[in-house]
Amino acid sequence: MTDSYTRLVNAGLGKTLSKRLGLPRPAVLRRYRPGDPLTVGPVLVLSDAASKPEADAVAQALLRWEVDVRREPTDDARWGAVVLVLTEAARPTDVSDAVLAVGSVLRRVAPNGRVVTVSRALTDDDPPELAATRGGVEGFLRSLAKELRAGATGNGIVLTDGAAADSTSALATLRFFLSARSAFVDGQLLPVGPADAGADESGTATDRPLAGKVAVVTGAARGIGVDIAKTLARDGATVVCVDVPAAGEGLTRTANAVGGTALQLDVTADDAGTRILEHARSRHGGVDIVVHNAGILRDKLLANMKPQQWDAVIAVNLASQLRINAQLLEAGVEGLRIVSLASIAGIAGNRGQTNYGFSKAGVIGHTRATAPLVARLGGTANAVAPGFIETEMTRTIPTVTRELGRRASSLQQGGLPVDVAEAIVFLVSPAAAGVNGEVLRVCGQSWLGR
Amino acid sequence: MATRKTTNGAPRGASSGATGSARTTGVRDAVIVGGNRIPFSRAGKRYADASNSEMFTAALEGLVARFGLQGERLGEVVGGAVLKHSRDFNMIRESVLGSSLSPQTPAFDLQQACATGLEATINVANKIRLGQIDSGVAGGTDTISDAPIAVSDPLRRALLAAQHAKTLQGRLKALAQVRPGDLKPLTPATDEPRTGLSMGEHQAITTARWGISREAQDELALASHQNLTAAWDSGFFDDLVTPFRGLTRDDNVRADTSLEKLASLKPVFGKSLATSAEVPAVPTMTAGNSTPLTDGASTVLLASTDWAQAHDLPVLARFVDAETAAVDFVHGHEGLLMAPVHAVPRLLARNGLTLADFDFVEIHEAFASTVLTTLAAWEDADYCKNELGLPGPFGSVDRARINVNGSSLAAGHPFAATGGRIVATAAKLVAQRAAETGKPARALVSVCAAGGLGATAIIESV
Amino acid sequence: MTATRPATVAGGPLRIETLPSLPGLAGLYARGAAASGRIAAGRALPHLPVVGTALEPGDGPLALPDVAYRVSGVETDGLAPHLRDYQRLVHEPASDTMPAGYLHVLAFPLATAVMVRGDFPLPLLGMVHLSNAVEHRGPVRVGDLLEVRAWAENLRPHRRGVQIDLVAEVWPDGGGERALWRGVSTYLAKGFHLPDGSPSGVDGSPERAPSGTWAPPLPTGRWALGPGTGRAYGAVSGDRNPIHLSALSAKAFGYPRAIAHGMYTAARALADVGNARGDAYRWTVHFGRPVLLPGTVDVAVTPAEDGTGFRYVGWNAPRRLKHFEGGVVPLDA
Repeated sequence: MTDSYTRLVNAGLGKTLSKRLGLPRPAVLRRYRPGDPLTVGPVLVLSDAASKPEADAVAQALLRWEVDVRREPTDDARWGAVVLVLTEAARPTDVSDAVLAVGSVLRRVAPNGRVVTVSRALTDDDPPELAATRGGVEGFLRSLAKELRAGATGNGIVLTDGAAADSTSALATLRFFLSARSAFVDGQLLPVGPADAGADESGTATDRPLAGKVAVVTGAARGIGVDIAKTLARDGATVVCVDVPAAGEGLTRTANAVGGTALQLDVTADDAGTRILEHARSRHGGVDIVVHNAGILRDKLLANMKPQQWDAVIAVNLASQLRINAQLLEAGVEGLRIVSLASIAGIAGNRGQTNYGFSKAGVIGHTRATAPLVARLGGTANAVAPGFIETEMTRTIPTVTRELGRRASSLQQGGLPVDVAEAIVFLVSPAAAGVNGEVLRVCGQSWLGR
Repeated sequence: MATRKTTNGAPRGASSGATGSARTTGVRDAVIVGGNRIPFSRAGKRYADASNSEMFTAALEGLVARFGLQGERLGEVVGGAVLKHSRDFNMIRESVLGSSLSPQTPAFDLQQACATGLEATINVANKIRLGQIDSGVAGGTDTISDAPIAVSDPLRRALLAAQHAKTLQGRLKALAQVRPGDLKPLTPATDEPRTGLSMGEHQAITTARWGISREAQDELALASHQNLTAAWDSGFFDDLVTPFRGLTRDDNVRADTSLEKLASLKPVFGKSLATSAEVPAVPTMTAGNSTPLTDGASTVLLASTDWAQAHDLPVLARFVDAETAAVDFVHGHEGLLMAPVHAVPRLLARNGLTLADFDFVEIHEAFASTVLTTLAAWEDADYCKNELGLPGPFGSVDRARINVNGSSLAAGHPFAATGGRIVATAAKLVAQRAAETGKPARALVSVCAAGGLGATAIIESV
Repeated sequence: MTATRPATVAGGPLRIETLPSLPGLAGLYARGAAASGRIAAGRALPHLPVVGTALEPGDGPLALPDVAYRVSGVETDGLAPHLRDYQRLVHEPASDTMPAGYLHVLAFPLATAVMVRGDFPLPLLGMVHLSNAVEHRGPVRVGDLLEVRAWAENLRPHRRGVQIDLVAEVWPDGGGERALWRGVSTYLAKGFHLPDGSPSGVDGSPERAPSGTWAPPLPTGRWALGPGTGRAYGAVSGDRNPIHLSALSAKAFGYPRAIAHGMYTAARALADVGNARGDAYRWTVHFGRPVLLPGTVDVAVTPAEDGTGFRYVGWNAPRRLKHFEGGVVPLDA
């Protein structure tokens, strides 16, 4: 369900006109379908001189995934992706050849192509030159992403804690960024650490990485929650669909569409976590994944905000997540993978959304704090921050505002609910265990925020 | 109290106490896994354009979602509708085909007036107990809003004759017999076919015979509304009801009703009885202490213990036993809705139980006075002796155990859907009680029906 | 009331006059002309003379004709559709066995023929059906060959005029030990007096309490009778007395609206008793206030207090008016 403007400028007269007039021409984004090739063309793996062994290791992994891998920029290819490995670059000047080599092939990056940098995170012990180099990669990637056209995206893997470029989680992240699953993720740098020994790569390259997992999705009756449930189920998870009793009709549809179970439950209930756990354990033998998707809006300028408007948003969007997480942790659920829905409003702020902004920024805050608590039991806690997503909710936004929201990003369009779902499914996949405490934006590189 | 005057002093028909053997043996348990219904709605409101099969499918889909039965081949789905269009000849099967269940799930329609839902439950439970099936859904659906409308018999016969005629001339001849008056459509009537009296008028006679007061009826109605409201507020129905067409709660329930409001309503039934020589009685039955016409659907999931375990499904209760009865109401010997009064003593005798053995008593509130005449009859020594063949009064029921979470007066009564509502409610009640106390809990279910029918059942915690 | 051969009227022997066929009905159904149902059935019935050539009141002494009509060899093979129409109308279950009320309908034309004779002293129109008593001695089925007899007897005073009994009998064709069915319809002719000036006698009709004082029992049923009830029964029974057909025609005879046939209401009550009546029964009815159409009649059809058979009564509840009452008592076959 690409928006009508995007459809217009991508075909026939609309295409010609919009080109002549210099109007934004958002691309029709390629989205994941099981069985499709990972990329739209061969993958060029480049690196600075010092990072060549790491680049080789990455290339080997790509070959294992049966991808057409090249190590030299040539003129005869329409590149599906360019992977730039800069993990061992120590001085700013080390990267020059490699980044310029990327530049030499940019015009031949295919529509919906990918550029992925692999670098290392800054640490407190970094000498200035190293820190400058590592920091520079981030600015380079964000800027490069804005130069890409026709649905191509640029994202970066930032290795932490000495993780190897071909470690399980790094490869899982690479695969996510290369694939159509990350269609609306653009200009993002995701820190990836070494996965625990328990994480396995085996599921990374399969279509059903979540087989055997039990996932709970709150707010599953409508909107993005439906797509999250469907995507989790598509990738093999058994889904417990949770929503308030009043939303049971939609919840039934979701549960029956994904072959899961419906649990009519208000997440703000004192014992919501316990009841979710009871349901998951008695009906499905346990719980592996929790997606805190339930959220409400009560937009009002702060000067006009009524207590119930503030309180309801905080209760549903934030407090419920804290309570449920606490109850699940207290119950000692092992290997729990939590993803919370944050929002770009929680990062950039939004007029009329002080309550919502508080709740979503609060989500980002508690995700960082929850991460180490969950990690002790072998789990992770991350957040996904959607930008402008085409949903029933955003359809009600006034036209001009809605158009601004859509076009004010590198991809010049709103994302789809499934884009958010794909990011979540990636974060809860076993191989992504090295990603913890992070906020992944799904915003088409929105101009808003950091 | 012996205010009842029988038309014929002598008891007629079989009404001896224990007739069957004590407790059926040699069969396995049938357990109630859970239930699902859609909120009940007053006729002509939210479900005005919803058909019987749409409502039943919605209830069934909610059940499938609650218990993750997508693609599951169940043993059987059994249900029905009291007011059913002829095009719905295979309604339940069609609902199954329109649901997320496996299309290999068999189904059939049955109908026993207001006892349809409970009779369907009895049927599924018996099949499970006999080992013929391992799982099944019982339920029912009814719409007043979308009730079938028939053509008059003369028009119908003429149309059929025309259809069967072999020549144009024959067809015209058949159609020529239609008279203008024949074109008037027939709406379904709730009158008893054999007496022409509506159910309300029948019950008004029974009410007058037993001398049930207006105040007692209004008090019972108030309790029903209060109990149902409290049950909704406490979340009791969160896992028993799935919203439909935007309706999230039963829309007949009046949280704000009061005895004063109920007392202000004008009687609607039994108005002509005031002059009776037999029982001069002021009319007492109002729209407030009678059930409204309602649309809705309900389902109950039953299974063998093994099947439930194998599917990691919860077990609320055991469906222990059931008894149906019918009374001779046509010539006034017994009240139309008194059949459960006869069924329960037989049911309890067979199971070695008394009224005191029940933690919950669910008596379908066709009218407030139905519940009250039932209770009065069981307490009446002469009646129990003459009509039920018992040595003395059958017994009393503690009012605090009756319809504790409300019943049809508040929820409404979509005929065939009421049984499923009550069974699921009773099953959850006994499960909760047993969990609280650590002791077994037991519920008695009683549903009266048109035609002098009644169905009753025992439900026990596991 | 044992069925006997018509013997005497006012002490004298009856002359038996054999007609070739039942008037009107004769052979019609047997020929299958009415196979297509009710409407045709109504049309097929002849328009019986509705105005008798009776003597005016006070025009000399009253005497009943000393004749009994007899029709033998009445075939019933073709009556099935007519019987079905009748059964539907009065809520009898479909069967090839004729209810007592149907035999009344069958014999009605012959009884009417007696009343429209030139020497019949009372006017057919305007006579009031006071009561009816039927002994139904055993099953009569479609296909049975029958003999039907009818005569008038028992002219006697009534407080508002004179009353007579129209007696009809249905026998097995060729006779037998006794009639299968015998019906006595008692009519009142207002304004006539017997020559001997005898005082008003017991008229056998239910006591007419003033409106609103009679206290009915609890009903066991309620009939909603539509405006076409009289026309429908008229079509099936052949009794097309204008007082039953429409408000307009009824007004001509002093009724505010059309009134239901008394025998229709009695037949409904008989049907209500159901199987409990058995194959042989005595069925009686006394008519009270007429049932105005359309109208609602509350009825109580209840086992008799003495345990034998059923009593029934029908009334208008709001106005506390009794329309009819009677009984159905099983007979030893």
